[in-house]
Amino acid sequence: MDDALVRAGRALRLVVLIVLAVLFLIPFYLLVRNGLSSEQDITSPEWTLFPSELHWDNVRELFEDPSVPFARSLLDSALIAVATTAGTVLLASLAGYGLARIPYRHADTVFYAVLGTLMVPAAVTFVPSFVLVSTLGWISTLRGLIVPTLFSAFACFVFRQYFLGFPRELEDAAQVDGLGPWRTYWRIVVPNARPVFAAVGTIVFIGAWNAFLWPLVIGQDQSAWTVQVALSSFTTAQVVRLHELFLAAAVSILPLLLVFLCFQRWIVAGVERSGID
Amino acid sequence: MSARTVEAPSTAAPAAAKPGPGERAVHRRRALWFWVFVGPFAAGLALFTYVPLLWSVWLSFFDAHNTVTPTHFVGLDNYTAMLSDAAFRDSLLTFALFTAFIVPATYVLSLALALMVNRVRRLRAFFRSVFFLPAACSYVVAALIWKMSIFNGVRFGLANTVLDLFGAEPVAWLSTTDPPWYWLVVVTVRLWLQAGFYMILFLAGLQRIDPVLYEAAAVDGARPGWQVLRHITLPQLRATSVAVVLLLVINAFQAFDEFYNLLSDARGYPPYARPPLVYLYYTALGQGQNLGLGSAGAVILALIIGVVTVGQARWFGLGRRNADG
Amino acid sequence: MTISRRALLAAAAAAGGGLLAACGSNTGRGDSGGGSGPALSHWYHQYGEAGTEQAVKRYAAAYKKARVTVQWRPGNYDQQTAAALLTDSGPDVFEVNGPSLDQIQGGQVVDLTGLLDGVEDDYNPVVLTPKQHDGKTWAIPQVIDMQMLYYRKSLLRDAGVEPPTTLDALVDAALKLTTRKVKGLFLGNDGGAGVLGGTPLYAAGLRLVTEDGTVGFDDPAAARTLGKLRRLYAGKSLLLGAPADWSDPSAFVQGLTAMQWTGLWALPQVQQELGDDFGVLPFPADGSAGRPAVPVGAYGAAVSARSRHVDAAKEYVKWLWVDRTDYQEDFALSYGFHIPARLSLAKKAAKLRTEAAADAVRFTTDHGWAQPLLWTPAAQTAYQDALSRIIKDGADPERELRTVVRKVSDELRRVQRKTT
Repeated sequence: MDDALVRAGRALRLVVLIVLAVLFLIPFYLLVRNGLSSEQDITSPEWTLFPSELHWDNVRELFEDPSVPFARSLLDSALIAVATTAGTVLLASLAGYGLARIPYRHADTVFYAVLGTLMVPAAVTFVPSFVLVSTLGWISTLRGLIVPTLFSAFACFVFRQYFLGFPRELEDAAQVDGLGPWRTYWRIVVPNARPVFAAVGTIVFIGAWNAFLWPLVIGQDQSAWTVQVALSSFTTAQVVRLHELFLAAAVSILPLLLVFLCFQRWIVAGVERSGID
Repeated sequence: MSARTVEAPSTAAPAAAKPGPGERAVHRRRALWFWVFVGPFAAGLALFTYVPLLWSVWLSFFDAHNTVTPTHFVGLDNYTAMLSDAAFRDSLLTFALFTAFIVPATYVLSLALALMVNRVRRLRAFFRSVFFLPAACSYVVAALIWKMSIFNGVRFGLANTVLDLFGAEPVAWLSTTDPPWYWLVVVTVRLWLQAGFYMILFLAGLQRIDPVLYEAAAVDGARPGWQVLRHITLPQLRATSVAVVLLLVINAFQAFDEFYNLLSDARGYPPYARPPLVYLYYTALGQGQNLGLGSAGAVILALIIGVVTVGQARWFGLGRRNADG
Repeated sequence: MTISRRALLAAAAAAGGGLLAACGSNTGRGDSGGGSGPALSHWYHQYGEAGTEQAVKRYAAAYKKARVTVQWRPGNYDQQTAAALLTDSGPDVFEVNGPSLDQIQGGQVVDLTGLLDGVEDDYNPVVLTPKQHDGKTWAIPQVIDMQMLYYRKSLLRDAGVEPPTTLDALVDAALKLTTRKVKGLFLGNDGGAGVLGGTPLYAAGLRLVTEDGTVGFDDPAAARTLGKLRRLYAGKSLLLGAPADWSDPSAFVQGLTAMQWTGLWALPQVQQELGDDFGVLPFPADGSAGRPAVPVGAYGAAVSARSRHVDAAKEYVKWLWVDRTDYQEDFALSYGFHIPARLSLAKKAAKLRTEAAADAVRFTTDHGWAQPLLWTPAAQTAYQDALSRIIKDGADPERELRTVVRKVSDELRRVQRKTT
C-alpha cells in the first residue's frame, strides 16, 4: 500500500514537472512560431501550431534590412559583453578575495559600503552618471559603454562569500612555499575556484548582453548599436513589424541560451559552494 | 546572504598580529595588500556609483529643472512635495502590496520546482535547464511575448484562443481594471523570468543537506512528505531562504522594466499598477526633467528599501554570527 | 607578505590600465556631411516610414557650410535628448516635440526668432504658436502631424449608421457597430485616455490653458463630456488590447474595428488596403458651445545652447527648414504623410487634394488645437490619470476634475512665476 502510494507520488511529480516544463517552454515556442510566420499568419483568427509554410526567408530579410545593422549589432554586443564580463569578473574577484581574506581594520566598512549600493535603484543615478561619463569625454566610445558598468557590487559580494568558505589549507601551503598573496591568488586560488568564476561570469554576461538603456544613450552612433538597441528599433511610433520583431528577439537570445546550456553545470556548482545562500 | 554575509572578515582570517615592535609594519603591509586587491574595484565603485549617488542626493535639495548644477536651494521642499503627492503615495502602497504577493509566490514556486527537480530520477538535467532558461531572457523580450502574443486582447492572442475553446469572450488583459487582469500578466512574466534562478539557489542548498538527517528522520518514524519537509528540509534551507527573500524584496521594489514594457504607450502610463520608479520616470526623471523632485522621490524609495532590508536582516537574525549556514 | 614592486605594477596594469587601453578606441562618428567648416551633429527620432533616414542624410550632405552628421535615434527620444542636453556631448541641432517650457526657461535652447524674418506668416499658426514664448521663437516647425477618426463606410452603411457629428452620435454609433467579431471603435489600448488627451475638452468648447494662463476646463461642461467617454468603455464597444496600438492602422484595416482614431500618417496604408471604403472625421462636437476638434502637433528644429557652434547651427537650420522649401516638401510628402508646416507648400501639394487628405487639411485649419507650452508633463500626468480613472473605473468626473484643476493651477503658477 505504501509502495503504491510512493509510486503514485512519483508519477504525479513527473506529470506536474512535465506540465510546468511545457508552460515554461511556450514563450520560446511563440518566439520561433511568430518569427517564422508571415504577418497574416500571426494575426489570423484561427490559431495554428505552426504556420502552414515556415518563412525562412524572414531570416534573410532580417539580416539584410538596410535600416538596421542587425548582424553588426550582434558582433558589437558580443564584444561588449565579453569585455564587460572579463573586466567585471577580474575586478570583483580581486576585491572579493581581498575583503574575505586580508585582515584589514576597515574591511567591514568597505564591505558594507559595497553592499549598500545594491539597494539603490539604477534609475536614481542615471542622469548624474550620464553627465559624469560625458564630462570624461566618453560618450560614443567603447570606454564609455564598458568601463562604468565594470564595478558590480553583486559580483563582488558573491566572490567574497565564496572565498570566505574557500579551504584555508591551500593558501597556507602556498605561503609555506614562499608565495606572496598576489601569486597565491593567481596560482592557487583562481585555479581552484573555477565554478564561481563561471557562475558570476554567466550572470554578468547575461546582464551585459541584455543591457539596453546605457548602450542606447552612450552609443550615440548607429555603428555602436548593440543588439538590444537594434531590437528596439523595430518598434517605431508609427508601425510595428511583428514577425521581424519576434524573429530578431529569437535571434538575440540564441547566443545567451548557448552560453547558458554550456555553463549551467558550473553555475549550480558555483552557487553551491559559494555563500550566496 | 547567510550569516556569513555579515561575518566580519577577521573571523575568516584569525591572523591578528601579536603586539610587538613589528606590529605597525604588519598593519601597514596588510593595508597595502588589501588596497592592491580591493582598490581598483573600490575606486571604480566610488567614481561610477557613489559620485552619481551623492550628486543625486545633493540635487534633491534644489530646484533642479533641466539642470544638474542647480543654484536655487529649496531645503526639504522636494521631499514634502513628494510625500504629499497622493499619486506617489499610491504607487508606494501598490508596491508594498505587489511585494507582499510576488515574494511569497516566487518563493513557493521556485522552492517547489527545486524540490521536484531534486527528487526526480530521470531527465533531471533537462528539467533544470528548462526552468532555468528564461533567466537568460531580457524583460524586453519577455514583455514582447506576453504583450503581443500571449495576453493581447484580441481573438488571436494565445490566452484568448484558449478561452475561446471554452466558449468564453476574449479578455483585454492589460486594458481592463475590473477585474484587474493586468496583475496576472505582470506576475506571470516575473515568475517565468525569475523562478528558475531562485530554483538553482534552492537546488544548491538542497544538495548540501546531509543525507544522514533524512535517514535519522525515517528511523524516528517521520513520514516522507510534509513532515520531513517541515522538520528537516525547510530548517536546513533557512540560510538559502533568507537570501532568496532578501533578493526578491529588493528586486520587487526596484521593479521597472516589465511594467514599463507591458503597460506604457507612446502617450504615457495608466494610473494603475504603477511602481514608484515608473511614476518618477514620468513625472521627473525621464522627459520632464524635474531632477530635484525625482531625486527626492528616489532617495525616499532607496531609504524604504534599506529599512526593509535591514529590518528583515534583523528579523531573520542575519547579524548573528552563529546562525547556521 | 611583502609586496614586490612588480606585483604592484602587475595589479595596476591588470585592473586598470590594461582595460582602459583595451577599450580606448573611439567608436567614431561617421562623417556623412559633405561640406567643410565646423562639425554639427543633428538628431532625429526614428521615423517608421522607409526612406526618411536616407532623405535627412541626403539633405545634410548637401549642406556645404558645415559638416553635418545625422544621428538617428531609436527608443525613447525625449528622454535621450533631455539627458544629452545636460552635457557637452549632446546635439547641436535636434528635432524636438516641443521644446518644453522648462527647456526654454532653463536656457537649453537658443532663440531662433530672426530666422523667420519675412516668412513667419507662411508658417501655420496652430503649430508655430506653441514654439513661441515671450515673443520669441524657439524652434522651427518641420511638418504638421494630426490625428482624426477613420471609419469604414461599408460597415456604417450596413449597420444603418450615419458618420457621427456629435459625441452622443459617436457613442451610439460605436455601440451599434459592435458585433461579436468586430468592435465599434478603437481609441488605443488604454481606452482613449492617452491619445485623446485634451481633444474632448476642445470638442466641448473648452481648452487646456486659457490665453491668460489659467486652467481652461474649470467648467461643468468638462465633466459632462468626459463622462460620455466612460459610456463607450462601459458599453464594451471599444477595441482593447490590440497588438498594434492606435498609432498603427493595423486593427482598422484588419477589420478588428469599424472606426479607429489614428494619425494622418496612416492614410496611405489605409488607402492602399481599403481603397474608397473609408472616410475621416474630426472628433465630434459636444454640447451647445462645442465644436469639432483635431489635435495637431509638430516636431520642430531647435538649436542646443550648449552647441560649440551656435551661429553655424542656426545658419544650418535656416538653410534646411526655412530656405530649402524643396527639401521641406520632400520631407513632408515623399515618405510618410504629413502636412507641410508652411501654408504655401500645403496649398500647392497635389497629394493633399485627394478626398480624405483634403478633409484632413481642412480639419487642421478649422479645428486644429495644439498642446500649449504651459501644459507641462506634471499637468499632463495628473490630467491623464484622471481621464483614465473616469473612463475605466467609472470614477466621478466632477470629483476627478476638481483634483486635476487644483494640481494644474499649482503647476501653472509655478511655471509663470519664472517668467518674469
